[in-house]
Order: sequence, then C-alpha cells, then structure tokens
Amino acid sequence: MTPFRNRSVPCYAFPAMTSSRRSVLARALAGVGLALSYGLLGGYFVAYLFPPRRTATRRRLFVGRREQFRRGAAHPFVDQRGRTLLIVARPDGELVGFDSTCPHLGCHVHWEAESASFVCPCHQGFFDADGVATAGPPAAAGQSLARVTLEVDERGGTVFLQES
Amino acid sequence: MARLRRFLTETLPVDWDQLRELGAEPVPHHLKHWWWCLGGTPLYLFVVQVVTGILLTFYYVPDPDQAWESVARLTHEVRFGWYLRALHHWAANLMIVAVMLHLLRVFFTGAYRHPRQLNWCFGVLLLACTLGFGFTGYSLVYEQMSFWGATVAANLVEAMPLVGPAAATLMRGGSEVTGNTLTRFFVFHIGLFPTAMAALLLLHLALVRLHGVTRVRFSHEDDRPGEASFPFWPHHAATELLIGVLLMYILTVLALALPPELGPKADPLVTPPHIQPEWYFFFSFRLLKLTSLQTSVHLTLVVGLLIFAWPFVEDLLHRWLRMPREASVVLGVLGFLGFLTLTVWESFAG
Amino acid sequence: MSLDAKRIVIAVLSFFFLGALLLVAWRETLRHTPEGEPPAIVTGSNQACVTCHQQHSASLVMQWEDSRHAKVGIGCLDCHRAAEGEPDAWRHEGQWVSALVTPLDCGGCHAKEQQEFARSHHAKAGEILASLDNVLAERAAGMPGNNADAVNGCLQCHGSIIDFEHDGEGRIRRTGAEKRPVIDPNTWPNSGMGRINPDGSKGSCHACHSRHTFDAKLSRAPENCGKCHMGPDHPQIEIYNESKHGIAFHANRHEMALDKDGSWILGRDYSAAPTCATCHISGYLAASGEVIGNSHDVGERISWTLRPVVSTKIHLVRFEDGYQENWPDTRPLPAPGDAVESTEHHAKDGRLVATPLTRRVRDVVTWEERRSAMKGVCLSCHNHTYVDNFYTQFDDLVVLYNEKFAKPAQAIMDDLTREGLLDPKTPFAEPVQWTFWELWHHEGRRARHGASMMGPDYTHWHGMYEVAKHFYEKFLPQVEELAARKGAAATWTPRLEALLAREEHAWLRGLSTQEARRLQESYEHRYGAPEP
Repeated sequence: MTPFRNRSVPCYAFPAMTSSRRSVLARALAGVGLALSYGLLGGYFVAYLFPPRRTATRRRLFVGRREQFRRGAAHPFVDQRGRTLLIVARPDGELVGFDSTCPHLGCHVHWEAESASFVCPCHQGFFDADGVATAGPPAAAGQSLARVTLEVDERGGTVFLQES
Repeated sequence: MARLRRFLTETLPVDWDQLRELGAEPVPHHLKHWWWCLGGTPLYLFVVQVVTGILLTFYYVPDPDQAWESVARLTHEVRFGWYLRALHHWAANLMIVAVMLHLLRVFFTGAYRHPRQLNWCFGVLLLACTLGFGFTGYSLVYEQMSFWGATVAANLVEAMPLVGPAAATLMRGGSEVTGNTLTRFFVFHIGLFPTAMAALLLLHLALVRLHGVTRVRFSHEDDRPGEASFPFWPHHAATELLIGVLLMYILTVLALALPPELGPKADPLVTPPHIQPEWYFFFSFRLLKLTSLQTSVHLTLVVGLLIFAWPFVEDLLHRWLRMPREASVVLGVLGFLGFLTLTVWESFAG
Repeated sequence: MSLDAKRIVIAVLSFFFLGALLLVAWRETLRHTPEGEPPAIVTGSNQACVTCHQQHSASLVMQWEDSRHAKVGIGCLDCHRAAEGEPDAWRHEGQWVSALVTPLDCGGCHAKEQQEFARSHHAKAGEILASLDNVLAERAAGMPGNNADAVNGCLQCHGSIIDFEHDGEGRIRRTGAEKRPVIDPNTWPNSGMGRINPDGSKGSCHACHSRHTFDAKLSRAPENCGKCHMGPDHPQIEIYNESKHGIAFHANRHEMALDKDGSWILGRDYSAAPTCATCHISGYLAASGEVIGNSHDVGERISWTLRPVVSTKIHLVRFEDGYQENWPDTRPLPAPGDAVESTEHHAKDGRLVATPLTRRVRDVVTWEERRSAMKGVCLSCHNHTYVDNFYTQFDDLVVLYNEKFAKPAQAIMDDLTREGLLDPKTPFAEPVQWTFWELWHHEGRRARHGASMMGPDYTHWHGMYEVAKHFYEKFLPQVEELAARKGAAATWTPRLEALLAREEHAWLRGLSTQEARRLQESYEHRYGAPEP
C-alpha cells in the first residue's frame, strides 16, 4: 500500500499505446527540438560563465617623474589591471619594470637593493636584476619575472607605463 | 547493460514498480483544460529563476558601492549577461502573473474548500514568497527606484500594528536603509525565500498528490467514465513540457524585444520626483495615496489575512450568517476587480 | 489533444525557441561595450583629493576628469604637490600643497615647452611695468592705496607679481588650522602671461592652457590669444577677424582639427586656415616634407618690432644661460662669445627689480632668418612671389609710418624735452604729450599691425588715416601752441614750416588746379552736380 494512491478518483485502465510511425516521428522531432534548443541555451550559460577579458582601458598610464626614481631602488606601482609592479632604476639610470608576481606560485617578490636582486619569501626564490631566476624553485623551472614596457621621455622627464 | 541495471537496482533500493505506478498516476480528465496548467507554470518559472538566479550571482556584488556597477557590467560586458538578466526579469514578472492566475483558478473552482484548506494557506504563503522575491530582487539592482522603493516599503511595514517597528528594523537592518539593508535583501532573495519556497512547494505539491486534484465536472461534458482520467506520464508530463518550451520561447522573445535597462544609480541624498514600485505593488501604492498610511496598512493587512484564511472565513460565514457558498464567487470577483482598478489607476499616474 | 499532437507541438515550439535563441546569439555579436569617453584614472593619494573636492568644487573635478591628464592618471598632487618650506606651500589634509602651479611645475613633465616659453617674449610680459603704460594705469587712473586699474586691467594680461601679506615682523601671514599663507589679494587671482611667481619662474601656462581641462581646442583657437591681443593699442584679434585668414577660419572652424590629440601640424592635420598659433607657435609641414615642430618661443618667427615709436627690424641675441634679447638692427651685432651688458628682472618684496649683469653671447639669429622661419608657414598655402610681395607691402607700410610720421614726431618730442618745453617728470601734463602718446601707441600701432596681418581697414582707417589726421590736425598745432606759450615760437614756427615744406607734406599747401578739378568732377559724376 503506497501512500501515494489517489483516493478520490477511481483508477481506470488506460488503453495501450500503439507505436505508429507518426508516434515515432513525433517523439523524435520533440526530442531533437528539445535537445537542440535547451542544449543551445545551456551553451549560452556556459559561455556566460567565462568572464569577459578585462581590457585595460588606456594604453598609457602615468607612473611618475623621472627624478622620483632613485638609482638602485625599486618603486612599487599598481596598474589598471590590478597588477603590482616594481620599477627599478638601474645604476646606469635605465628604468626597467617587472610584474612582482613570482612565476612559481604567485607570491609577491620584493627588491633587495644591497644585492640588486628580487627575493620571493614564500619558497626562497631569487631573481637577478634582469628578473631571471637564479635560485629556488623558479630557477629550477627556468622562470623569470614578467617585464612591463615603460616609456621614458627623457626630454619631458616623464615615465609612462605601456598597457597592452 | 544488465550488469549496469543490477548495479543501479542494488545501490539505489527504490521500488521501481512503485515509481512506475507513480508515473502512471491517473490525472483527472479536466486537466486537459489548459487553465489547470497554471499551477505548473509558476513552478517551471521558479526553476528558471533558480537557474538564472544562480548564474547571475556569479557576477552580482551585493555592496552599495558595487551593486549597480556589477549589474551594469553584467548587462553590457558579460557574454549573454543581458539575456540572462532579461530572462530573470521577465520570468519574475510572468511568475507573479501565473501565481495570481493560479490563485484565481483555485478560488473560482472552489478547490480551497474542505479538506484542502491548509493547502490553500500554503498557496497564499507561496504568493507572499513570490512577491517577496520580486520586491527584494528589484531592490538588489540598486537603482534610484530600488532604493527609494525599499525606503517606502520599510515605512509601510513600520506602520503595521504591534510588530511594525521591529519588522521594519529587521527588514532594513537598522533604523534606515543602508548598506546593511542591501546585504539583508540579498540574503532574503537567495537564501531565505528560496528555502521557504522550496519547503512550501514540497508541502503544497505533497498535499496536492495526497488529496488528489479536485474532481471537476463541466456541465457541457458527459461523464465519460472511460476517459475520466489519463496517466501523468507521459501525457500530463508532455503537457507540462509543452508549456515549458512555450514559456522559454515567450521569455526569449520578451528578452529580445524588451530587455530591462538600468536606471540611474541609487543616491541616498536625492529622492527622485517620481517614485513608483513595481506593478505588482501598484494596488498598495494607490491605496496609500487614497487613504492615510495607517488606513492603507491596516486595510492591506486585513484583506491579506482574509485571503489567507478564506476557507475558514467562508465556513464561518456559511454556518453563522447562512451565507451561500456561491457568494464567495461574487466576493472574489469584487476583490479582484478592486485590485485591478487600483493597479490600472496607479499605472496611469506613472 | 492527443499525446502525439502534444509532441508535435513541443517540436514546433522548440524550433521557435531555437530560432529565438539564434536571434539572441546575433544580438550578442552586435553587443559591444558602450563607447563612452574612457573614464578618468584616479591614482593613489589623488583619490582623497577627488572624493572631497567632488563635493566642494564639482565642476573643477569634472573639468579635470575631461582632461588628457586624467586619462593617463595624472592627478591633483602631481601638479599641486609642494615642498615644505616653499612660501606658497601649506599642509592640507596630510599633504604639502600649493594652489599655485607655475611653469616650473608644468615643466616637470613639459620641459621643452617650459624652456621655450621661459626665454620668450611672453615670459617677459610682466616686466613692462615701468613704462608710461604703468604711469597711466597707476597714477593717471589709479590713486594712492587703490591700484585697481592696474590690478584688474594691465596686470591681468601682463601678469602680476605674486606676493603674500606679511605680519609686523615681515613674516608671511598664515591663517587657519592649516596655516595657509595669505596671498595679497591684488596679486591673485591672476593668470597673466608674464606673472612672476614665488619660485622665480615667470609666466602662467594657464594663460593659454586653461585649467583644469587644458583643452587643446581652446589653446589653438584665435579667441584664446584675443583675450589680451586686442584693443586700441594692438588689435590683433580684430585684424585677424577682418582678414581673409580669419574669415577662412570662422567658415571652416570644424575642419580645423582643433581638438586633435597630440601634434597639430599645418599641411598634415588641417589646412583650411591659419590661427594665431599656426603662424606664431605651431608646427607645419615644410616644403622639404620635414615636419617643423612647434615652439612656445613666440618671437622666433618675428622680424619687425611694431611696438616702439619707431619700428626696427630685430635680431635675436641668444646667450649661453638660455636668456635672449631682441636687438634693433640699428645696433651693431655682437659676435658669439662676446660678453654683453644685460639685465635680470626678478621680484623682490613684491616689487620688480632690474639687476644689471653680464651675459655671454651664444649666437645671433638675424631678422632675415626669423622672417624665413615665418615664410616657411606661409609657403604651405602661398607661393614665393605671393609671400615675398606681401612682405614688400608690409615693409613699405612700416617704413612709411616710420619716415613720414614717427621719426619726425619723435625728433620733435625729443627736442621739446631737451629744450625744457616738456618735462619728463610730467609725462602727460601737456595735450601734445597725450597726442603723441596715442599717435605711436594707438593708431600708429594699429596701422602697423593691420599691415602685418592683412587687415586693410585697420591699416588705413583705424591706422594711417588717424595717424595722418592727428599728426596734422592735433600734433603739429599743439607743438606750435606749446612753443608759443613757452615763448619758443621763434625757433619752433620756422622749424615746423620747414617740416611741412617737405615733399610728403606739400599736399597741405593745396592741390594743383588739375587735381582739384578731377576731384570735383568725380564727385559730380558720382553724386550729381550741386544745386544751383
């Protein structure tokens, strides 16, 4: 005795279904139609879940004036995409910019002026002044820090970041 | 294949025969009339809302400084974001219409009477949940109308007798509409109301199955005992599936033709010259303009309670005042016309 | 409805649904992020400034947001940051700021423009205030304790000397919790071209590059220069508007690419007409195909000085320290390396001080070279003959003014002064002094400027006609009257007669009979014979 038996309506025997060609066609068409339409809808849902690539809205971003960058020191900067960058003024005066995200597992490296190198505190990764890993897990994997393009206007004394 | 079947039957010890019986459950003949699909319609739309709602939550941010922006980003930048938002918006509106029509159908076919009084109550609660969904959902967009609509609604709640101030504080998360309010509305919308609705739906559907669908006989039909019922599966299921696809089609056309746009962002310091709630609250707004705050709140409460308890009230009126049961139809018509009048009147004021 | 019928309907409906979904996909491909103006970037500590000032001075912040600075993240503190100890600095909401942004501040990024501007004539605009113009504004129009004519008039174009109020001990007065220095209200607001700033720099970039949008289309438009280069003594904007250049500009304003980002080159970015900037500052495509860049040294292409009583060609003497001077062609030119007596103007205690010093000459740019630089611009639209002939016409007018009116009048005034009939200590006591002043300073300049920029009406009716009329009708009679009054008629009357006996003034004695009859006939022909 199931609790789901309908009490108020008597149970009538139902005529057996004949599978005629029309029936098969009807089922097939309905099945295909449903599969295609709901399938496409599902496809849209999946596409929706992949976020659109955030393009940087500007090609150039003012970083600072040339004289703000002391030789041998690194200047932190956050760009429009939220990347944390380190801009190093080399002894010869040249400015180079790096993404401070360690290529190993994504921690942020910091600059050590005395040794002119980058250090990642998470797993002791070391990088030279060119961003090439010299010790630790990133070195083992042959990785280096990502470079960013800087536009230095010596005449105007301005430093811009080139966003791609 | 046989091995798979044996694996399934051993790990899922369901009585398959029982299930088949369940599926073949006879459904009364009158359900071939399309009016009786008005119960399944809001259920289907609820499923649509849950699916689209979950997807929208991937990008929506419930913070006053980011809510509006996240909806804008969703509408303009995310792939098919505008479509999902449109589906959600239109399914909400259609669901409210469907629930109201279902209520009318149940009322005018007397299906609320003994022994189905409790189910009627659950249904009214489901209507309240649906309206609650609509209200909180609209507030989440954090447009000017959202913010000020929430403010007005909270003031109405506050005017309720006895529980008003406490209810309003709970609703707002404070003595005025702030960031707290948005957080609360978000929780109501994606947590509290869905749970309540799921529970109520379970109860509602279980009771429908337990009681059986009310047998109705139309005067122009002969009593055809041979075709007095038909199996739920596949016949009624096909009907419901049909309605489902039809609804998806209608929703998509509405999404293409009338996608929801974004009004100006909420500004707590500037009240727009023209506040108006969503259409399903027009009746209340118009009542507010016609009477005082106290009167309209009390009136709304009384009418709401009457609707909720109508099976019992009708019973009492029948027994004590000898009111014929058919009088309910008249009262229902009058009530519905009243609601329509207020709603249409307010729509012209906008 | 039978089950099969339902299934067919499901199939049909699902294909309708599918069709609608395809339309959704099509709509999706059309969708793009709304093309609006890219928003301003507010970086780091500028955010605090913006948040507060958005309320206090909403339009100012909105102007900045519209600027190119904001588009690359250059914000408030990048220009308004000051160093502790500077006279105009105070500590505001945790930062040392100054309301004054001087050319040195702008030059932190715009070094080339600042250097060019600093050596230009514009930067010296504030150094004129020891001339008769000064006397007229401060003494003739002004009164002791109220220098409002100079402050509101002359200084607003020429530039004030920024100064602060001082307390009894001579320290800069400071006010409020932030101890903001109190600026002398007579010196600020002021965005005069040659404003002398507390940091020693001269000028105000804002004079042409209005803050805070620093809109290129404003700076390139002629109306911008017209704020100062207008009026009875140098009506350049009026002349320009009269000229074919101005007419072409106004008819084609929208094809001028005035709001183009970056460089603005005649012959490449626009061609419809020149503006003031085109000829005097901006870059152009030379005949060689090379782009000659712009220069904020506005005098580089000028060959005449039309300002003094008697115009001369001017050479540009450039010194090793970057300073430069215009030397008239009547003065012998120095050689590179020569040490030359020069002057340094700077502000001290709110007053302009001129200090003599020696500078070493780096090189000389002759007036011919300067004219050649200007012709480079003309040649973009006009051919050589056209340009050269124009300069012939222009030169002749200046020479006409010089020779017929300016030099004789100047000589007369010099002699009157030397003979004691005029006292340089009372420069406007006599009517003849006013007349002479206006003769060279007003109509004389109008005539010369009119010829320089092809404004015929300014050259003649507002110019040489009035020079001639006032010379004959006022100046000479006033000289005679003065001489008679001071008992020097014996020397002066014959002298004036000798002047008027010269060929160019002979017309005063009368036209020939032939000329008179031709005159009469032409009027009768035009207007009919007079009534009997």
